[in-house]
Amino acid sequence: MIQLLLEILGWLGYLERPLVLLQLVLAIGPMLLLRWARRQHRRPFGIPEGLLTPAALALLALCCLLLAALRLPYGLTSLLGGLWLGWYGLKLLHPVLLLGIPADQVHRLESRLLRPMFLVIAALALMARVDSLHDLSLIPVGDVLDVTLNIGDLFNAILALYLVLVACGPPAAGLAWLMHQALGISEGSRKAIELILRYLVVGIGLVAVGIHLGLNPTALIAVAGGLSVGLGFGIREVFSNFISGLWLLFEGSVRPGEVLMIDGEPCEVRRLGLRATLLWRDRDNAELLIPNQTFFTQSTTTYTASDRLRRSQVTVGAAYHHDPETVLALLEATALQVPRVLHEPAPKALLISYGDSAIQYALRFWITNPMNNIGICSEVNQAIWRAFGQQGIEIPFPQQVQYSMVWPPEQHQTNTGTP
Amino acid sequence: MMGSQLDTMSRPPVHHCVSPASLFASLLGLLGCLALTGCRQLPALPRVLFVSVGTNADQKIDANGLSELKADMAFLANGFRRIDPKTVFQLSLYSDDDLLPVMQRRNRAALGPDLFLINGDTSRLLLKAGLVQAFPTTREELNRFTPATVHRLRTAQGQLAGLPAYLQTQLACFNSRRLPTPPGTLNQLLAVSAAGHQVGLSLRAADVFWTAGSQGAIPGLEQAIRRQQPTAAQLKTIEGWLAWLQDASNQHRVTFYADQAMAEQQLARGQLDWLPCRSTSLVRLRRKMGAALGVTPLPRGDGGEASPMNRLRVWALGSNSDALARERAIRFARFSTNPLIQRELTVSTQAVLPTNRFVEVPELSSTVLAAMVRASVQGEQAARLISLLEINDPRVASAQYVITELVFGQLTPKAATRLLINDLINKP
Repeated sequence: MIQLLLEILGWLGYLERPLVLLQLVLAIGPMLLLRWARRQHRRPFGIPEGLLTPAALALLALCCLLLAALRLPYGLTSLLGGLWLGWYGLKLLHPVLLLGIPADQVHRLESRLLRPMFLVIAALALMARVDSLHDLSLIPVGDVLDVTLNIGDLFNAILALYLVLVACGPPAAGLAWLMHQALGISEGSRKAIELILRYLVVGIGLVAVGIHLGLNPTALIAVAGGLSVGLGFGIREVFSNFISGLWLLFEGSVRPGEVLMIDGEPCEVRRLGLRATLLWRDRDNAELLIPNQTFFTQSTTTYTASDRLRRSQVTVGAAYHHDPETVLALLEATALQVPRVLHEPAPKALLISYGDSAIQYALRFWITNPMNNIGICSEVNQAIWRAFGQQGIEIPFPQQVQYSMVWPPEQHQTNTGTP
Repeated sequence: MMGSQLDTMSRPPVHHCVSPASLFASLLGLLGCLALTGCRQLPALPRVLFVSVGTNADQKIDANGLSELKADMAFLANGFRRIDPKTVFQLSLYSDDDLLPVMQRRNRAALGPDLFLINGDTSRLLLKAGLVQAFPTTREELNRFTPATVHRLRTAQGQLAGLPAYLQTQLACFNSRRLPTPPGTLNQLLAVSAAGHQVGLSLRAADVFWTAGSQGAIPGLEQAIRRQQPTAAQLKTIEGWLAWLQDASNQHRVTFYADQAMAEQQLARGQLDWLPCRSTSLVRLRRKMGAALGVTPLPRGDGGEASPMNRLRVWALGSNSDALARERAIRFARFSTNPLIQRELTVSTQAVLPTNRFVEVPELSSTVLAAMVRASVQGEQAARLISLLEINDPRVASAQYVITELVFGQLTPKAATRLLINDLINKP
């Protein structure tokens, strides 16, 4: 690494050349000018905000042309300008990508693939101007399992792993979608297969990179053995979460798309990660990160293990002078009128108890999506309100009769009705 | 309080995220300021001399090759630092094939090297392309080198493309344990192969050209390169040379290699017994084969001595240097041709020969050095021919095509002769 640092420090020697400095000034000038204009909210020559960057790029191109006309070197200025143009091009690409790809995927594509790749290419292009990339790649960085690693090997290994990690998503999703279409598997299974495929590709990628680097498989196994001991003590929790995640995935109880009850709230599983599961709570649009082993060691209520039906319930009180049979029939008929309540299994109304002010009834009905429970309950309650109103069925307020007590109690007489 | 709040609210939102472009700009600006102001005044700051080394197609540049080249360079650099301690050398290697386009790109950015260490013919090409400056020399300075050496580096305008640094020769390397007596003639070479020894030859025209001298084909080829029709006798010798190559290719134990590095690996592993090799490979082969490595001059033939294409390595001045770096580069190049340094380099590496003609090579003390001196004499007959051909001359590619087709039996020696001569005379 010291060799690499010395090499990089050596590049500073180019700054002794006046023509290199001139090119840098001409390339950096428009960049600083643009930054100043943005900070000060200035519009030089009345250029609109959206055209400031193209204008700065045009200025930079003009500088290149001027240098070329004067028969002076301009390669560095044009390279920096080209890189700037490329970066700006990525920004222009954003709305184009949004036309065909969902916003979250565009964000992931840009932040995980396009921008990092662009920066790597830019760095390599700059380094290629001042040095031989081949030489740099041969600089040794150290020995791993009796194999001397150089910068080129390390760079390639990191790049390959990164690409495998980032880019294996779409092919895995495509394959899982094909299986979903061909075999008719459920949506949850499709997501599980996608995740398993991703883990598989990453695992194969890791082994392939190790073999490419020339690492001895026997030594790798020995390291894996050592690591397992280390895992037992040091990062037990991380390992436990990872294994729990894999187990849950195969078991199928916590797959993306499943609905679980967390703290009494239905939550949908969004992603089963290496360490934690990401769930979405509809009530407040919160995302919950829960360690995988929580599901592995604690009991959890799910509405989607064998089917996605949920039996829901609302309670209501009706006055004592209404015939319970009439009320029960009305409740069941009302539930059937709510669009998202299933007709089969049929809604069922029950007389629950005789309360202080009213007879308590429960209306039980079935819905297809557990995540819609709150909304459907609200709809059912509204329908009951309207139906009771139309049929003259009273929902009584709690009633209390207050009267004054006389002390001692022996002297107490019947309430006269006056305060 | 309210005023400041209102003021803040009335402004459009300010984005505080730092874009890579602005970060990069700031960093470069800082470095530029440092270079312009403070750094020049620091007393002990090193002066970087950027050196680009051209490597040949037969040189495999891996980590070992790079460290060997750096070690050679370090020998010269350490010597130079005794008289100029502040100079730091920054080395970069490029294959000869890539050198021209890469250097054009770097030169356009004023980021070209201060000094090149390249083949003599490459230096003429780069001078023509404006990538190197003519080397300023005096008559006394040029007197250090043989007229033939200087002639190889002169352009048509009389400019000197570079200062001769050292000579890399082509030799015969063999496994002395398996082949105690190396072949001295081409006939013996085929006989050795017939006797069961594995022989390697190169498929590259430049590396197999030594056989043309042994068969006496050089005058005819030189005539054709000058775009003149060779005589019937000369044509016959050229056909004889090509026929020998095809005969060799038909031998069971003679293998033609497109990749010289692979052939050298096989020699080191004992899978080959005899192979033409470059003197620059000797360090590596010596390390792998130890005492088993034998080195001799290439075998002569009925037509005369072998004609190896020895490589003259020269120091050429990059055209992007500022005045100080240029002066330093010239001093370093001159320092490396100092007789003492040249002798030390020759004896310590036993892989190169001095270009300074006043340096005595201790031939008697080393069979390798003796073989190299002999190879340098052998190579003089090819030197004239090399000076007639630019490396990017399309006729070089034509000759390569003919040799490849001939070796693989796609052309008869007669047809190959006709095609080769026709291309050498008529191809633009």
